[in-house]
Amino acid sequence: MLTDLNLSLFLAYKSITKGNKGTLVLTIFIMSLIFVNLVFTASIFLGLGNTVNNQVINTLYGNIALEPKKDEKYISDIRSLEQKINSVPGVTGISSQYVIGAAFSYKDKSGAWAIRSINPDDEKTVTIIHNFMIDGEYLSKLDTDEIILGKEIPGGYGGDLEHLSLGGVKIGESVDVLFNNGVKRSYRVKGVFDVNFQQSNNLAYISQNEMESVLGFNDTASLILIKTAETGNEEIYIKKLLELGIKEEIKPWTVYAAMVKNITKSFDMIALLIAVIGLFVASVTIFIIIYVNTISKRRQIGILRAIGIKENIIIHSYIVQAMFYAISGTIIGLFIMFLILKPWFIEHPLKFPIGYVSLLIVPEKVSINTISLIAAALAAGLIPSWMAVRETILEAIWGD
Amino acid sequence: MADDLTSNIGNENEILLGIRNLTRIYTMGEVRVRALNNVTFNIKRGEFAAIMGKSGSGKSTLLHQLGLLDTPTSGEINIGGIDILKLSESEKAKFRLERFGYVFQEYALLPELTALENVFLPAMARGRKKEDYLKTGTKTLEQVGLGARLHHRPREMSGGEQQRVAIARALINDPDILFADEPTANLDSASSRQILQLFQKLNREIGLTVLMVTHEPEDRKYVSRVIWLKDGELAEKEGISEAGNLQIAKD
Ligand SMILES: Nc1ncnc2c1ncn2[C@@H]1O[C@H](COP(=O)(O)OP(=O)(O)OP(=O)(O)O)[C@@H](O)[C@H]1O
Ligand SMILES: [Mg+2]
Repeated sequence: MLTDLNLSLFLAYKSITKGNKGTLVLTIFIMSLIFVNLVFTASIFLGLGNTVNNQVINTLYGNIALEPKKDEKYISDIRSLEQKINSVPGVTGISSQYVIGAAFSYKDKSGAWAIRSINPDDEKTVTIIHNFMIDGEYLSKLDTDEIILGKEIPGGYGGDLEHLSLGGVKIGESVDVLFNNGVKRSYRVKGVFDVNFQQSNNLAYISQNEMESVLGFNDTASLILIKTAETGNEEIYIKKLLELGIKEEIKPWTVYAAMVKNITKSFDMIALLIAVIGLFVASVTIFIIIYVNTISKRRQIGILRAIGIKENIIIHSYIVQAMFYAISGTIIGLFIMFLILKPWFIEHPLKFPIGYVSLLIVPEKVSINTISLIAAALAAGLIPSWMAVRETILEAIWGD
Repeated sequence: MADDLTSNIGNENEILLGIRNLTRIYTMGEVRVRALNNVTFNIKRGEFAAIMGKSGSGKSTLLHQLGLLDTPTSGEINIGGIDILKLSESEKAKFRLERFGYVFQEYALLPELTALENVFLPAMARGRKKEDYLKTGTKTLEQVGLGARLHHRPREMSGGEQQRVAIARALINDPDILFADEPTANLDSASSRQILQLFQKLNREIGLTVLMVTHEPEDRKYVSRVIWLKDGELAEKEGISEAGNLQIAKD
């Protein structure tokens, strides 16, 4: 048994080290490319999803959002509510907002967008919009007749939906706003932001003070955004908020992301499809490479059998060779992924309409791909050598 | 010359291979080729026998059957009272490893292994100790005159040298019999002579039984016996080889 294993290893070792170097290098190189391709594709799609999630959290809803109780239009008593929420350890920011629809007009152009009202200092603790002003300035607390617009609204800033924009509002110019409750105001455009996320770039912001004057009441909100120290533990925070007796609807960001993700859902399916097809193609490719390699050794296999070497020893030696190709390819692929591509993409994220996308390399995906490749290599080593020992010795040596 | 046979190790009249009614029919679609037809003869221990005959007469086919490289359509091959054709495939492989040696027309070495590695491979497969197979391998290569080529790869050696490596590989497990199918067909006359003299030396000195296919009439001067084949059957021809003890088992 040990003898057999020894001999298999000996034959595999010699075949790898003394065989054709070009074939060896090429095989391992192709293996590593296949591996990189698989992991890269998975990682870019995961990175895409991750970016969407981060955008939802950082520019729209925070980690957790409170909405009015059922059958109520507003959340009331927000000062004390904010205090309660703040008492939960790990809460790093709270921003109470009103969200209201409005019709905008400028010169002969008009359009409908949602306006959120904020206390700018609070908002900065939750969202990152203030960091993405591409023109003018962010709101300040005392601004009452000023508005900031996402880049889709004013026009002239290269929005994705330029044709629906106001056609070129400049900083300092006024836009007319008709709120859903019938109030009409005129605001000077103070700044334009671009967070690289269309949903967010379709929003306009005014100050909370101004909104209260539009609505005629205060200490209320229609949405409270909560930012927590880490992402992923929303359920724990929600439990704590419930324990505090909060009766409002509490929703984690994932609920909103799911809505946003209707766009990206088809996309997840594409990702899955590509992953499955990619894995299949990779397996077949590896199979073919090793298969051809092994088939070309058919005569050698015949000779080994003729001189009385056991079939299992021969098969095992080809499996060892195939494993060597697969494992070397995977290791080199991992190096390429983690030491070259990942750092490069962190430095140079790809700009997508939903934001900057970097690679998100998940251990599970890497493992699945590794295991699949090794399984393919196993089959690729096993099947042709098994076939080669199935044919007659004379066919193997002299057949064609 | 008969003295040579009696000086062999083992019983000089011991029948090593008892071949009975061996028939091999190749079927190719509708066509059936009777490559060997009802062949019966014995090979004694210590013989150096040549199988001769025209091209297509069934020489290779016969050697392949005897060497357990192919399965005959019918017949028996007895070794020590057992019909080795009845063995399972893995038992046959063990038999080939431990008791048979092969030298093919093409040198049939593994290109990735050195001369020494090619030679010790069958010893390694038998589970012999490393120092043992290294030593025996070296000694065997010296025996075939290749003591200076131990670490050469096949492509770094001439055809004659490669063929001698193949012979050393065939010898390392002390086989009962060595099968050779036109071992000199690809060699020039000097190398051929060297190979045949080597067989003769091994036959005389260690009593190795050799069964060799050849189509060179001249080769008869090296062998102790000629087995003639014609259309797949044993044929009586020219009577007696130079060695003087031709035994054709055809009645
Ligand atoms: N695999 C095969 N399938 C069909 N017919 C075969 C096969 N191998 C050999 N034959 C036929 O069997 C007969 C004997 O062939 P064999 O190879 O034994 O001849 P040989 O005496 O060795 O000839 P040569 O001197 O040319 O090597 C020939 O007619 C040949 O065509
Ligand atoms: Mg032949």
